Amino acid sequence: MLAYIIRRVAQSALVLLIVGLVAFAMFRFVGDPIDNMLGQERTADDIERLREQLGLDQPFVVQYYRFLENAVQGNFGVSYRQGRPVIDILMERAPATLELAAVSGILAVLFGIALGVFTAIRRKGIAANIIMSVSLIGVSLPTFLIGILLIYLFSVELGWLPSFGRGEVVDLGAWTTGFLTASGLKALILPSITLGLYQMTLIMRLVRSEMLEVLRQDYIRFARARGLRNRAVHFRHALKNTMVPVITVIGLQVGAIIAFAIITETVFQWPGVGLLFINAIQFVDIPVMAAYLMLISVMFVGINLIVDILYFFIDPRLRVDRKGGH
Amino acid sequence: MFRFFTAAACAAALVPAALVPAAQAEEFSWAVTTDPQTMDPHAVNSTPVLGFLNNVYEGLVRRGKDMSIEPALATSWEPIGAGEGWRFHLREGVTFQDGSAFTAEDVIFSYQRASSPEADTASWFAPVSEMLQVDDYTVDVLTHSPNPIFPDSIANWMIMDSGWAETNAAARPDKESGNHATLHTNGTGAFRMTTREPGLRTVLEPFEGWWGEAEHNITRAEMTPIQNPATALAALLSGDVDMINPVPIQDVQRLQGNPDVKVVQGIEARVIMLGFPHEADALKFSAETEGNPFADVRVRKAVAHAINVPAILRTIMRGNAEPVNQLVSGAMRGYSDALEDAPAYDPEAAKALLSEAGYPDGFSFGFKCPNNRYLNDEAVCQAVTAMLAQVGLTATLDAMPVQNYWPELRADNYDMYLLGWSPGTFDAEHPIRFLGATPNEEKKLGSWNFGGYSNARVDELLPQIQSEIDEPTRQGMLDEVAQTLQDEAAYVPLYVQPLVWGTGSNVTLTQRPDNFFILRWVSVN
Repeated sequence: MLAYIIRRVAQSALVLLIVGLVAFAMFRFVGDPIDNMLGQERTADDIERLREQLGLDQPFVVQYYRFLENAVQGNFGVSYRQGRPVIDILMERAPATLELAAVSGILAVLFGIALGVFTAIRRKGIAANIIMSVSLIGVSLPTFLIGILLIYLFSVELGWLPSFGRGEVVDLGAWTTGFLTASGLKALILPSITLGLYQMTLIMRLVRSEMLEVLRQDYIRFARARGLRNRAVHFRHALKNTMVPVITVIGLQVGAIIAFAIITETVFQWPGVGLLFINAIQFVDIPVMAAYLMLISVMFVGINLIVDILYFFIDPRLRVDRKGGH
Repeated sequence: MFRFFTAAACAAALVPAALVPAAQAEEFSWAVTTDPQTMDPHAVNSTPVLGFLNNVYEGLVRRGKDMSIEPALATSWEPIGAGEGWRFHLREGVTFQDGSAFTAEDVIFSYQRASSPEADTASWFAPVSEMLQVDDYTVDVLTHSPNPIFPDSIANWMIMDSGWAETNAAARPDKESGNHATLHTNGTGAFRMTTREPGLRTVLEPFEGWWGEAEHNITRAEMTPIQNPATALAALLSGDVDMINPVPIQDVQRLQGNPDVKVVQGIEARVIMLGFPHEADALKFSAETEGNPFADVRVRKAVAHAINVPAILRTIMRGNAEPVNQLVSGAMRGYSDALEDAPAYDPEAAKALLSEAGYPDGFSFGFKCPNNRYLNDEAVCQAVTAMLAQVGLTATLDAMPVQNYWPELRADNYDMYLLGWSPGTFDAEHPIRFLGATPNEEKKLGSWNFGGYSNARVDELLPQIQSEIDEPTRQGMLDEVAQTLQDEAAYVPLYVQPLVWGTGSNVTLTQRPDNFFILRWVSVN
């Protein structure tokens, strides 16, 4: 088992290194940061001097090596745009993204499971059919369009909720939170619905189909034959057995919520790391792009690693197979 | 999709009951597309930075509502001797926002700081040989040669307190890793900065100790960057912000019908033009053509005749821009009134010129264009491409983000390109220096003249224009250069870019052609 984990960790590290290499190879196609950093009255000498100073005249492999060398010491460089350490900027922006992701995730799980169970039990009901049809919108409409429609309806038309931003935040030292003020909570509503809608419909449809599957099983029939009440059958027996694959998917979607926050953050001008990344691309702020991409890939690789290791514990067949079988 | 939304949003806003403008008295908030990258007035010479910092810092002189130069930290100035330089008399009793007094020492310090190699503003001081402190409230600026426009060229040179900068280890700007002045300010201006969160919000409050008379009624102002144009528009319509810049051109008409918002329109200082490879031996992106047709003035003139500028302005700019016949707009000092109109739209004349030049069937070439730098730039380039096709010129349009665009132009990877130019000094000399002069790295001339246009007479006149004191003589030389550039079709100027701001209906403000948003002219009713 230790060998298995070590092998998975080594594979993960290799994936990270390759992601970084690909990222650095791509940066040159994003454009040239120099023109953004110098004004109209720059000369060709200024351009060359700054390029050399930033190490941009080096091949991308060398740039990547330097990045890694500094990164292992915890130094992610200085943002070209803001002239401040990237790590400070990321720490400043991370709470916004994580709070948004947490609220969206919780909304998605709660409503996803509840509606999934409902539509499975009342499979033929009118309400369930309406929910199923509407959920198609959640799966098929692009996030930015949903966001903009929500802004149009609730900010411009009704004037209930703010159209952008995070509202008032409370500074807790290393963390800024929007949970403690009324305007912060109001500001969370539209972006978290926008971000969570896709995950919610995904979870709902998954729960529904798993539930329908389970409800056809023999042990459900026997449970009913035993005279158990509907509620016990549905929630004690059926739902419990539905949850195994659902939890796996939820785990994997955690990463997706954080990574896909980019679009939601852009539409709502939500000051998180996703918006930071979009701005970094426009400015060709290579240190910020590099740090963000590494952060996201560490997160994805980490989640996958944990899931892999959990499988190892949960699924006895995996252990048996690895030992070559009996 | 964004366009669809804005249409819907604006249609909805027409229903008066649907909207309650948040007219919080005297608190003001505005949205910008680009957050200023630094708060250091000498570190980055760009409109977002200098425009914002003009509210916090001040220069010896400043620009008024009509762009004219007026006294600020200097109360008066006069030439020294026969054009050896300028003497500035400083305003007494001015204090910085941290309470320290403003004296000549701060001016000398700010000169050293702004002209240092670490600064991005050093080129403003290229004509200066020395700056001397005569007494506490008098400063002499000595120039290499007579410089009539020096006071005009330093309106954005902002004065920083020497003591504050030195105490906080910010005696020189630091573009790469930043310093105290990147995030903090200490100016003499009408507003002081109370909060700076890069990329999130920046808060200004009136500076009680300001020497001037306050014209505004603002108690607190907050600037938020909003990159997405649809979000910015929604923020304005919902009353979350009081002003946005810019309003997307395609939404102007619909906003004008909305009683809760106002559209403030004007003409920016930026002229949009086409450029050519004057020096190239051959076209880069042509299969069949040998040599470089654009080296022939007749071909360049044919391009000018082939483009229907009024049609572009009517359709793509929705009537918000003005045609132009030279490299500066009419609002600039030194604009040539004498110059005749730009070549008229005349496809037949264009074809005749092409035949004369030996290209009766036209030719193909590559046309480079940015797609996120100027208002509707890619759409304009598509229109130009279609119009050129009418006279047999087959352009292959390659539009790209500006961060990829400049490197392409520097590498000469174009047969024709689109360029916008806004003269930092608001004087017609500026584009001659950067676009008209033969490129010369040592003299820092022609640094944006990608095509290598070169005319001995223009090169000869430029230094004379720079040092001529007599206004009519100077204008005569500027007229001659404008005429030469037009005769040779060195560039094909198309139009002056519009400025379109949106505000709540309860806001009055002044819009200047430099696209600076000056908070002390804002009042909220």
